Amino acid sequence: MQLWFHNENTYPFVPEKILAEADSVRATLPGRLLDPKIAADLFHECMDESLLCDDVGINIVSIEHHSGINSLYGASPIVLGALARQTRNVRILSQGTLISLRKDPVRVAEEYATADVMLRGRLDIGFVKSGDSEMVSNNANPVGNLERFWEAIDLIRKALSNVDGPTRWEGKHFAHRSINLWPRPYQTPHPPMWTATGDPDTSRELGRRGMINSVVLRGIDGTKRAWGAYREARAEAGLPEPALDRFAYCGFVYVGDTDEEGVAIGSKLLWFLNTSLKQAPQFSKFLPGRMPPEMAPQVYRTRPKPGEARIARPADGLIGMTAEQAIQRQIMFAGNPDTVTKQIMAAYDTLGGFGHLIFVGRSGYLTHAEAEKSIKLLAKEVLPRVREETRARER
Amino acid sequence: MIARETQNFHGIELEVLRGGAGHPILVLHGMHPLTPAAPFLTRLASLGAVTAPSFPGFGDSPKPKDFETVFDIVHLTRAILDAAGGPVTLVGLSFGGWIAAEVAAQGHPNIGRLVLADPLGIKIGGPEDADIFDIYNNSPADTRAATFHDPERFGPDFDEMDDSDIIRYARDRDALCLYSWNPYLYNPQLPRWLGRIAVPTLVCWGESDGIVTPDYGRAYAKLIQGARFATIAGAGHCPEIERPDDLAALIAAFVGG
Repeated sequence: MQLWFHNENTYPFVPEKILAEADSVRATLPGRLLDPKIAADLFHECMDESLLCDDVGINIVSIEHHSGINSLYGASPIVLGALARQTRNVRILSQGTLISLRKDPVRVAEEYATADVMLRGRLDIGFVKSGDSEMVSNNANPVGNLERFWEAIDLIRKALSNVDGPTRWEGKHFAHRSINLWPRPYQTPHPPMWTATGDPDTSRELGRRGMINSVVLRGIDGTKRAWGAYREARAEAGLPEPALDRFAYCGFVYVGDTDEEGVAIGSKLLWFLNTSLKQAPQFSKFLPGRMPPEMAPQVYRTRPKPGEARIARPADGLIGMTAEQAIQRQIMFAGNPDTVTKQIMAAYDTLGGFGHLIFVGRSGYLTHAEAEKSIKLLAKEVLPRVREETRARER
Repeated sequence: MIARETQNFHGIELEVLRGGAGHPILVLHGMHPLTPAAPFLTRLASLGAVTAPSFPGFGDSPKPKDFETVFDIVHLTRAILDAAGGPVTLVGLSFGGWIAAEVAAQGHPNIGRLVLADPLGIKIGGPEDADIFDIYNNSPADTRAATFHDPERFGPDFDEMDDSDIIRYARDRDALCLYSWNPYLYNPQLPRWLGRIAVPTLVCWGESDGIVTPDYGRAYAKLIQGARFATIAGAGHCPEIERPDDLAALIAAFVGG
């Protein structure tokens, strides 16, 4: 079992009243609402948390989101570069540069190859489909996003793997006539590749490709659906059963000395769901290309027709959750080390095992000191026991 | 009486609305195709033989795989004009006005006259000027207000619309977005070529158009030699919906004169 620390570097310090009155906390909040001095502190605290992870043997996820309180990591390759130089031990998963928003995947491959060399092969590459306000913030056409996503992955894989001099790509969305990376990546043919998705169709394609499928904050049912599709697609294609290291579960985690402390402080993590996900309708339900038009009647109406189900984006079902609900839905593991170990293993058993646990360990008003305390307890008290128990089950 | 048919142009199947007889009038739709019940089409059908195709992805027209640019639509429109057999009055509304302007700038023997109503397709201002109101980045309420003179009466009400109409509406939005996300609803090169339009041209503009303002319209008309410019009171970006009689009357006078 590999454990991964995930921290979005959120910026909660915008007055509540402004956030409540804004129709969106992404894409449109004026930059003057951010204090660069606070942002600087946050960047350094978050980097220090990552360096603590490096010391105690917890891997690190480097993420990307744009133009909102939910994350300050818009320039994701820069953060990855800093981690590449400052860490010494653990693996770094860039999950990831939002590739369907970038004009030239070859340049993304170049960034990743450089990071992998600096990391001496400690890089994992995660792809994220992106969507909603990210499309607007990056001027990326939301229609055709998925096509660009897969073509970009194909091109990045080709660029990273190529060692035979200039090669070319003239695809539908991307064209680059001379591809020849220097440096090539440290790992051959390229770093392990992941994708974060809970969408069963995307998981099916990941299964056929043998990529790692992380599922972020979808809970047990959503994760089961995705991984079930992954396994099914491999079976249909006549491919061998996937190993557990192809699956990554992600939830909020907070470990305290006591259950009370774990839940009380852990509940601060839910700020991410309850405050930072709000998006204006033009960035969400009315954004073109984000769902088949046949679903529009259930999405566009302000009130469903009698007998009609309402369709919302997966994140909408998470807004307004309490700590108890999040723990019950196994989106959050919180308590003392013993409780958290049991919660993790319960999810592990329900899902038939997974090789990676990504934990959101800091968000919202959870402080740097609180985050570091949980990281230390996780590494010292929880991870060894989880590893022991998962090894026992594998035997 | 306007009928809905399907017709094939260069192997591409399109939904086509038809009605009337006589002088051929080809109508290129705006952000959403008109319906057979649209009063504007009925009025035009009293002037001549109206053909109003829905571009691929819009209305009930399928979108062929990899048909995804304005370039494709311009070529398709040329194929539609080829099939007309003789000179038509080409009427382009909003997005269809952009297409009509592109085709007319290239020249086609079957364009007899050109009518552009609130056409998109060019950029007039500088890099910091939002010449064209952004229907994707602004709230639905602001977009309604920018689109219609009387948004309460003419704006879409999804709670009242049938499922099939909402699905068509969503298809239209996806298609328009595919074709026009970036550059946003314009071709940077088009102003250079508008001067090549060699047929009599009428440019009409809704006085309350907040998507592209009447000033944008005046600048547009100036780029087309000899173009007449007329505004329509009580209409926003879609005079064909808010003032169908007035727009049809302008077209009738233009065709008759």
